[in-house]
Amino acid sequence: MLRYLIQRVLVMIPTLLVISMLVFTIIQAPPGDFLETMMAEMQARGENMDQDKMEFLRKTYGLDEPVHIQYLHWMFGRWDGLEYKSGGLLFGDLGYSFEHNLPVSEVVGDRLTLTVIISLASILFVWVVSFPIAVYSATHQYSLFDYVFTFLGYIGLATPSFLIALVMLYFANIWFGTSIGGMMEPEYVGQPWSLAKVMSVFEHMWIPVLVIGLPGTAGMIRRLRANLLDELNKQYVTTGRAKGLAPMTLLLRYPLRISLNPFIADIGSLLPELISGSVIVSVVMSLPITGPMLLAALRSQDMYLAGSFLMFMAFLTVIGIFISDVLLALLDPRIRLGAGAEK
Amino acid sequence: MTDVRTHVPHGSPMTHFVSQAPFDPYAVDKVSPELEKIYMASQWRMMWLRFRRHRVAVAAGLVLALMYAAILVVEFLAPYGQHARNVDYIYAPPQEVHWRHQGEFIGPFVYALDYKLDMENLQRVYTENVIDPRPIRFFCEGDTYKFWGLVEGNVHLFCPPDNDTPLFLLGSDRLGRDMLSRILYGMRISLTIGLIGVSVSFILGITLGGLAGYYGGWVDDLLQRAIEVLRSIPHLPLWLALAAILPVTWSPMLVYFGITIILGLIDWTGLARAVRSRLLSLREEDFCVAAQLMGASPGRIIFRHLMPSFMSHLIASATLAIPGMILGETALSFLGLGIRPPITSWGVLLNEAQNINVVALYPWLMLPILPVIVVVLAFNFLGDGLRDAADPYR
Amino acid sequence: MKRMLLQALVATTLMLSSSAAFAAEAGSYVSPAYFAKDEAAGELPPVTERLPENPAVASMNDLGHQGGELRMLMASPKDSRILTAYSYSRLVGYDRDYKIVPDLLESFDVEEGRIFTLHLRKGHKWSNGKAFTTEDFRFWWEDMANNTELMPAGPPKTMMVDGQAPKFEVIDDTTVRYSWQKPNTEFLPALAAAGPLYIYAPSKYLKKFHAKYADAAELEAAVKDSGQPSWGALLNRRGNLYRNDNPKLPTLDPWVLRIKPPADRLVFVRNPYYHRVDTQGQQLPYLDQVVFDVTESKLIPAKAGAGETDLQARYIRFDNYTFLKQAEKKGRFSLHLWDDSRGSNFALYPNLNCNDEAWRAVNRDVRFRRALSLGIDRHEINQAIYYGLGKEGANTIQALSPLFKPHYQKAWSSYDASTANRLLDEMGLTARDDDGFRLLPDGRRMTIIIDTAGESTEESDILELIKDTWREIGIDMFVKPSQREVFRDRVFAGDSIMSVFFGVDNGLPTADMSPQEFAPFTQQQLMWPKWGQYLETGGMNGTEIDMPEAKKLEGLLMDWRASPDTAGRTAIWGDMLQLWSEQVYSIGTVANIPQPVVVAKGMHNIPDKGIWSWEPGAHFGLYKPDTFWQDTAKELSPVESRLQ
Repeated sequence: MLRYLIQRVLVMIPTLLVISMLVFTIIQAPPGDFLETMMAEMQARGENMDQDKMEFLRKTYGLDEPVHIQYLHWMFGRWDGLEYKSGGLLFGDLGYSFEHNLPVSEVVGDRLTLTVIISLASILFVWVVSFPIAVYSATHQYSLFDYVFTFLGYIGLATPSFLIALVMLYFANIWFGTSIGGMMEPEYVGQPWSLAKVMSVFEHMWIPVLVIGLPGTAGMIRRLRANLLDELNKQYVTTGRAKGLAPMTLLLRYPLRISLNPFIADIGSLLPELISGSVIVSVVMSLPITGPMLLAALRSQDMYLAGSFLMFMAFLTVIGIFISDVLLALLDPRIRLGAGAEK
Repeated sequence: MTDVRTHVPHGSPMTHFVSQAPFDPYAVDKVSPELEKIYMASQWRMMWLRFRRHRVAVAAGLVLALMYAAILVVEFLAPYGQHARNVDYIYAPPQEVHWRHQGEFIGPFVYALDYKLDMENLQRVYTENVIDPRPIRFFCEGDTYKFWGLVEGNVHLFCPPDNDTPLFLLGSDRLGRDMLSRILYGMRISLTIGLIGVSVSFILGITLGGLAGYYGGWVDDLLQRAIEVLRSIPHLPLWLALAAILPVTWSPMLVYFGITIILGLIDWTGLARAVRSRLLSLREEDFCVAAQLMGASPGRIIFRHLMPSFMSHLIASATLAIPGMILGETALSFLGLGIRPPITSWGVLLNEAQNINVVALYPWLMLPILPVIVVVLAFNFLGDGLRDAADPYR
Repeated sequence: MKRMLLQALVATTLMLSSSAAFAAEAGSYVSPAYFAKDEAAGELPPVTERLPENPAVASMNDLGHQGGELRMLMASPKDSRILTAYSYSRLVGYDRDYKIVPDLLESFDVEEGRIFTLHLRKGHKWSNGKAFTTEDFRFWWEDMANNTELMPAGPPKTMMVDGQAPKFEVIDDTTVRYSWQKPNTEFLPALAAAGPLYIYAPSKYLKKFHAKYADAAELEAAVKDSGQPSWGALLNRRGNLYRNDNPKLPTLDPWVLRIKPPADRLVFVRNPYYHRVDTQGQQLPYLDQVVFDVTESKLIPAKAGAGETDLQARYIRFDNYTFLKQAEKKGRFSLHLWDDSRGSNFALYPNLNCNDEAWRAVNRDVRFRRALSLGIDRHEINQAIYYGLGKEGANTIQALSPLFKPHYQKAWSSYDASTANRLLDEMGLTARDDDGFRLLPDGRRMTIIIDTAGESTEESDILELIKDTWREIGIDMFVKPSQREVFRDRVFAGDSIMSVFFGVDNGLPTADMSPQEFAPFTQQQLMWPKWGQYLETGGMNGTEIDMPEAKKLEGLLMDWRASPDTAGRTAIWGDMLQLWSEQVYSIGTVANIPQPVVVAKGMHNIPDKGIWSWEPGAHFGLYKPDTFWQDTAKELSPVESRLQ
């Protein structure tokens, strides 16, 4: 087991390095750089910036250097011979955000908390809704309600969420007087937490949770239902039933537990989801979470903000995959041995 | 199930049952003609037999077949041409089709629209002129079009009553374009995007997954790492980057293909994993070893022997991937990266509907959401049905 | 329309004057209750000591009272700079007749258009209570503008005339003088701009970040701490008066940022040392606080409709009017339509520097440009998209400008396909293909690919309408949307034949404002980017102007710059506009698209009918938001501290 763990950890290092190169290439792929984006934006508003000043800024921030040099600076920092000078993701320096004119580490701030809150709520929502539906439809396969529930679940999957989001915001305002967009009434923004603020967050949160959660619900129902059906058709279930176990006990004790195994495999994707949130929905709803910030950073080629953020997410994904692999290996020795048996 | 627990008092002797029929030891092996058909049926046939039992899936399949058939003849089905507009009827609400005029049956018709500009609110107000019925024409001559860009024609399934009276069954948009026609033309783009995109990811997935699964070892490791890397990067930056790579000199049609390929390129990892894990288990089966011993080449083994055994599964997964692509296209349009006018897709239409004016004043512009839902639902049900059917021995 | 506007202007005219008569009453100034506590605690001196000896007096019809809070919606934390524009506290600024008058300055003298003497107000203070003196001007000129580490390209272009810097003199604590060899006509307009030229800086605060003044070790620590590459970058970052994103940076504006960006709610509180009072001696601004709620720009119309803003025009477009008009019935706000001052809402720019030789030749033929302009049915565009409320015409200045002549707007802008066809035939473009489209001399079909940044549906709708009428003159059109940076790169590189973008920015110029938009001047001009680049880089890049008319425009711009008096400038403006309208360098569509303005109930001093213009006017800035007030003061959003 220990060998397996070490082997896995060692593989993670090159993986992350490759990811970092890919991420940097991706961010640099669109034409131009941050300054050009900024200039174009200013031009559209009738504001102007001297060509000279732009060249100066480009030099100051090292945007005139070749891409691979920029990458090395971002990843490993600046060196003077063998003497370390500054920067470098490896040294914990996330770089500088041009857009916000702040070190990246100071930009994210409160958004991370809210993102985790809203993602947790959506995941909870998905589980709470999909679990009973899946169990019901698996135990009552091809019944009327099986169809009805799966249908409802799929509707969530089939609706382009950005459009629904806007409609819901509008009507929530008309019917309940909820302020449009955001995670709370504006007067609580930037204020310390209080009961009223928490209530306001709740009042606003149900729409994004619903809109973000619904598409995931259908997928969850489908997987859980299929797993459960597989288990229910196994002989031990028949045996159990023949032995006269109460249906509920039987269901809960074995098949349901085993059919949950794949959820552990999901942890890998869960972690990064927690901090990224759903970008498009959060843009439409103007949620003060990390998604819109990432999108804006990508668009304006605020490369260190976007890069560090993406790397953080990639790191979480890799860690997540690692955790779920380890958990699965702990639960199921076949996988542990199988890893070595793959010739 | 086999739940035959009769109530028998404890301790009393069990009742016996002896069949009176003569004993035939070969009875079980005898196969009725129908059963024989099933036993001898090809895998595809078995799949079909099982699939047929999934009613909803069959219905979904029919709906999709109809829609795909329709995109072949969009020009004929749409009452207006793709770019036809009528600035006299901007933001006209959907018209109602009537059958009876003042109690008298005269077939499907619409009333002419009276138009008033409300300068106070800057709103165009339309009222039906209920004394003036105008029958809808069928198989009629209307806007000319180039059928598939080749044959010129002007026959439509149905057309507006006359040149002065519009026919906007689903309303009109900000330039007086017929929403129904736009949705129909958009259908051609949106439905094919799914197909092309899935084909791309299908080919990639099968090839790469096949290689990894068959060879195992470092090839497999490499692919596993590649997939892991790709999955660690959120779709959004990938979209942005790939969309930015598309050469700016490309025509909208090429951009459209580019975008489908982007969607496919990002989506192949799931399929590749599925192929790989299937192959890993299948290649240990006897028939595979046998082929290997007989000296078959890897390509032949993969494509001739292994692939048929899991093709059904792949098709089911591919079906389930298509709706993701269709929704992906709407998301790309939202981000301003997808297809752009003048090409019309559902994503483009929905993106145009993405503002407060539409929600509050012109809700019919959100109608393209309905076909999106229908198609995505249909693909999901079809995929579910196919997947259930893919394992006919269960 | 024009007369109505003028009446409205006259009726609500509000003038700023530094009335000497009022100074006699000094001592009777009214301090806002907002600072009562701080004054009582001795943390803030009394109002008489805070105001300059001779404060600026704002006279208005509708006198108000202090207090309240103004909420506005913005789309990015970076929009904090918008308040710099709205505040419109400038050394000199435009009044409502677009005359330049002193504001922060007590007065200024100009000799021969080249010697500028600026007189500060005695006792004027920054928002942190430190004196605002000529030292702040000296610091900026000597230690910032002429410091190669801070500004490697030297002082801003407007400060240089023919490459010559001015002679800078500090005469006393409140008087500075800039003298150039030749007239500098752009100096005062630059000081009065929405995004102004700052020729001063809070020296006391910024010296902490300047290598010449600061302790080297401390400075190095500060640079490292901030993540900035050098002390120069740090100083530029901390001292950007326009961006207004440093709560510690002293300002002369009516409101001071009190929240550290990035934040989703920016709160600005009144500046205790602000230099204006009303005629009753109440210190302005009336409103205690201004709040910017940052939200997604697409949601702003919806939020405005729900009454979540007190004053909003930014991010609201004309097509939101119908929705807002319905929402207005709920009684939370009233909706006004202001006049947009742009030369044309959207205009087409034939690229005279495009790489395609056949197209370049055609684009350079004035008959072609005229024919294209005649081939547009502006009336249809106006009716279909703007309910007929826009003004159809060329891309030129607007009727409210004193320089306006009707024929500038009318020239070549009526829909006349037959004349257009005749012009094109005269050019020899008579060959047509099977579909009836004209052919270029080299046999290609005349398909104009129009590049667009494609950000609004309005733009693509207009192009669609134009496409149909151009077909009548045998010209095919094809729209190519791309992202804004790509769009600009294509135009600059000459890859684009024609582009569509906003029209002339300053549609309301007076003779004293620069006519640079109407002559080759910068790369940013979409009809002659390479000529502009040539001039901008002093001949390093780009190409020399090789068309006599354009050359003439460039010469006229030079003349204007050297012209010492208004009469001479007016004449030059006239020549330029005349040439511009004859040559149709850009093809206008519809102008004067009304700008919806949402004003909460109970707000005062915001005119029902105003002019929505960034330059000149700084949007609301021209109407002096420091005089806006509320019937019932809104509850204030909490801030950690009211003082700097």
